[in-house]
Amino acid sequence: MILVIGGAGAGKRGFARSLGYAENEMTDRMETDAPVLYGLEEIVRADPEKADALLEPLCRRELVLCCEVGSGVIPNSRGERVFREKTGRLCVLLAQRAEAVVRVVAGIPTAIKGELPCARC
Amino acid sequence: MLILLTGGSACGKSAFAETLCMRSPAPRFYLAAMQPYGEEGAMRVERHRALRAGKGFETVERYRDYASLKLPGRGTVLLECICNLTANEMFDEDGTMTDPRERVVEGVRALTAQCERLFVITNDVGSDGMDYDGGTREYVRALGDINARLSAMADTVIEMVAGIPIVLKGEIPE
Repeated sequence: MILVIGGAGAGKRGFARSLGYAENEMTDRMETDAPVLYGLEEIVRADPEKADALLEPLCRRELVLCCEVGSGVIPNSRGERVFREKTGRLCVLLAQRAEAVVRVVAGIPTAIKGELPCARC
Repeated sequence: MLILLTGGSACGKSAFAETLCMRSPAPRFYLAAMQPYGEEGAMRVERHRALRAGKGFETVERYRDYASLKLPGRGTVLLECICNLTANEMFDEDGTMTDPRERVVEGVRALTAQCERLFVITNDVGSDGMDYDGGTREYVRALGDINARLSAMADTVIEMVAGIPIVLKGEIPE
């Protein structure tokens, strides 16, 4: 599993496409079988208390795409704070398990763990 | 030696800083700037206490005015965190606002002189929309300025991303 993180609109899915993944190989639903899962932060937001249980099934994907959501003013709403905490901690655990972690900034992927994967043939 | 660790919420800053502290000379002091409010604050303090358990830290709770703090020994200090310290120095309970920049920076400078290694945790709070009220906008700017001044003073600056340290300045101390 390779973890791809970055801000909203940073180009994470574009990076997945650049590796050769087609749109029908990407999903934003845990129930759907596809090599690429994107929008993990929204899955956490829908049920933050179940975030820990997502780790193992996520590790079976090829790519997991998640927004970095922790860099901003601490929100006033408790729900928003819990969402940020759960998303951040899940990303730490995913990063530990991942063979590579890629951070996308302004469309530019940088490997911060392991190496940038090659495009699929 | 001053080591600054930054990053968003829940990115592994505390755990990594504590690992580095364990490789640094005793005695070890943990300076807590967060005033725990309510159940959630208490849980956050408890989580950090559990992380530090058995690591030989003496905890000092201090919410402001680090410039006048005298440490009882010279070793390693972990200060957590600049975002809380800045808020405490900036906002009075009666609602008045004071510029926190000098007090925070001079506080860190005074601590640096009193220990072998000072680890300081801060937070990136400027990377979202700036759609906030005046006080919060001022806070974001002040914290950004403080972070930049601490970076300039620091021997090492590390950004944590998903638990992975990214060295922005200097190198990770052995």
